Amino acid sequence: MTGSKESKAYKQDDKKFIEEICSQTWEKLYRYVYFRVQNRQEAEDITQEAYAKVLCRWGQKASRPDHPMEYLKATALNVIRDRWRKTKRKGAEINLEAVNPLETAVESPAEAATLRVMIEDALKKLSEDQRRVIELRIIKGFSVSRTAGMMNKKETTVRVIQYRALQALADILETKDLVKERRDNG
Amino acid sequence: MDDNVRKLSEYIDKLNAEQRPDQHESPEDSPELERLYHAVRLVKSLKDPALPGKDYPERLAAVVRNRQRQKSRKRFWQRGMAAAAAVLVIAVMISTMLPFGKADIVHAMEQAYREVEAYHGVLEIVSTSAEGSRSLRSKLEVWADKEGHYYIKGLEGWQEGVITANNGMKKWQVRPESKEIYVFPAFPDPYSFILELGSEIEQAKDALSTRVVGEDTIAGRETDVLEVTPKGGAPYRIWVDKETRLPLQKQTAMQNALQSTVTYTAIEFSPKIPGELLVLDVPDGYSEIDKNPEQYVNNLEEAAGAVGFMPIVPGGVPEGFDIDGIAIVPGTGLVKLYYTAQDKDTRIVTVQGKAAGEFERASNAVFAKVNGSPAEVQSPVQDGRGILEGGQYDGMAGIRSVRWRQDGYEYAVVGNASLDMLAQFATALAGGPVEMPEPGEGLTGKPQVEVPVNMEVEQNEQKSVDAGHSPWRLDPAYVAQVFVSLEMSPGGITGDYPIQYEELEVVENNGVEAVVRVGGDKTPIGKVYLERLVRQDSTGIWTVVGYDPAE
Repeated sequence: MTGSKESKAYKQDDKKFIEEICSQTWEKLYRYVYFRVQNRQEAEDITQEAYAKVLCRWGQKASRPDHPMEYLKATALNVIRDRWRKTKRKGAEINLEAVNPLETAVESPAEAATLRVMIEDALKKLSEDQRRVIELRIIKGFSVSRTAGMMNKKETTVRVIQYRALQALADILETKDLVKERRDNG
Repeated sequence: MDDNVRKLSEYIDKLNAEQRPDQHESPEDSPELERLYHAVRLVKSLKDPALPGKDYPERLAAVVRNRQRQKSRKRFWQRGMAAAAAVLVIAVMISTMLPFGKADIVHAMEQAYREVEAYHGVLEIVSTSAEGSRSLRSKLEVWADKEGHYYIKGLEGWQEGVITANNGMKKWQVRPESKEIYVFPAFPDPYSFILELGSEIEQAKDALSTRVVGEDTIAGRETDVLEVTPKGGAPYRIWVDKETRLPLQKQTAMQNALQSTVTYTAIEFSPKIPGELLVLDVPDGYSEIDKNPEQYVNNLEEAAGAVGFMPIVPGGVPEGFDIDGIAIVPGTGLVKLYYTAQDKDTRIVTVQGKAAGEFERASNAVFAKVNGSPAEVQSPVQDGRGILEGGQYDGMAGIRSVRWRQDGYEYAVVGNASLDMLAQFATALAGGPVEMPEPGEGLTGKPQVEVPVNMEVEQNEQKSVDAGHSPWRLDPAYVAQVFVSLEMSPGGITGDYPIQYEELEVVENNGVEAVVRVGGDKTPIGKVYLERLVRQDSTGIWTVVGYDPAE
């Protein structure tokens, strides 16, 4: 085989490898990223960035791992951390791991289901108005104006209830007692 | 606190719109807000994720391949960097050789198009099914210039032999099969051929986002592939010639299991369209069918003689507009004054005639006031009423109107310009201001009974309407008719609706919310309240959110 033929064969192999790995694994990685960022635009970008970083390193066939998903997930998480840590660099005292212990923990369907139960339990502890605002605004995705209309309240009132509801929810989710309570019950 | 309350709400709005919140990219000073943003994301994780389009894996692979190529090129250049002086030269070379960024590519297209006066090309339109089978729908010879003149001839496919042309004074279509030539007004012209360069570049400029997703070779030309996400539509791609910086190919998203690819298999640039192509010449044996209802006159006096009143000429029209035609519509008593902007593409028509009957707004029109009188605003015009009746402007993309009455006359300003521009013309014509409602400006009342809404169902319904199904969802009166009818016949409607369309009257409409009054003595519902919940523009569906029982 001549040098140029070898190079061409490598290129074709590369192309096939990239197409195969993207089509077989994209959804799993995308869902993994989406779970953390909760918006399509950013999830698409970060997933793309993770593939580009990983697959550029795997240009040579010999360097390709048998289980690429683990590498992709780790790279995606690093991309998110790199992007979001800009916040920390510029002054705000945020510890991603401390703020997001639940996010970094979710790796399996069982863990995801546990987290789901935990969030649903936390929502039940809110007042009726708070729960309704969270349900309409975040779960159903309504605008403030629409939510205000449905609850017969002013828009400013809805925003304040929303703020207090999320403060209460964050407090509940960060309380170790909740985790303990869930374990005891479960 | 107030500021944090607002920021948190905006953060939720961004996530609901499936867009990256600014807070993910730029610093947020408050750890408390960071904590609350995290809580928002956790709650939102209870919903299923919004997945990307079907072509995402393909796009992903293209971007990765492109990145690999860039990386290998970079390595090549880096090996040659021995001296500091060389670094600068090579950096410039790399920057000109590598695919350019999103903002650059659109800007480069704009710049390149500025140099174009007219162009001539061959366009192929190919359909691809979901199974991947391709078929040539048509092949066209295209001549176009920047003043909106064009000459299109079908070379193959269902338009074979058909010629459509517009020379700015009139538009015509030659149909060889029936040996007929149809003649239409030059403006407004609902016809626009796909991949018209100026429109494509404008669309890319106005898009929500654009990004380079790869490289490709089209008709032997090296191109960059640009993904364009328009406001409120499915993403599509254009292939931009690396040398000319102009679009060569466009591919729509797969819709209803069909994808359309339009390609210039050949294109050349020219100072103008050959004159003989823009002259209406009726060949022997062909009959001419004149569909142009208007007749041009030489001055206002001739117009006044024909319609029986002296038309008003708007005083102080926006700068850059010149009057370039006066026409009457025989049999209707209407006078039209045509204005053209300096770009030669923007045209505005003022229409005036004696008022007859009651002033009725179209059901989809936004309520406004002109010089204190009730007015309707349609953007785009969907249902011409009063002096706009006849359908000449209905359903044409980008044609908007403002219509009102004053001192026994009815007036309208129509054109392919912004509503602000139309309002300036209306103000000049009426001698008083145009008051438009702010989008989302509150209505005068709230419903006594709220109707629960399932946003997932509505979002799917919007997608269905975007694909051309159930167009009635865009008409608040029709949506109210179906709602009231189903309330009266919960088991389903057989035969005629129990409430007639004519019994419904839109009494408020600010473009985002509307109230429809239900007439007749059978109805259990007096008023229906509707909102555009999914998209707040003329393409957004209306949803019933509440009602008042009949008194």
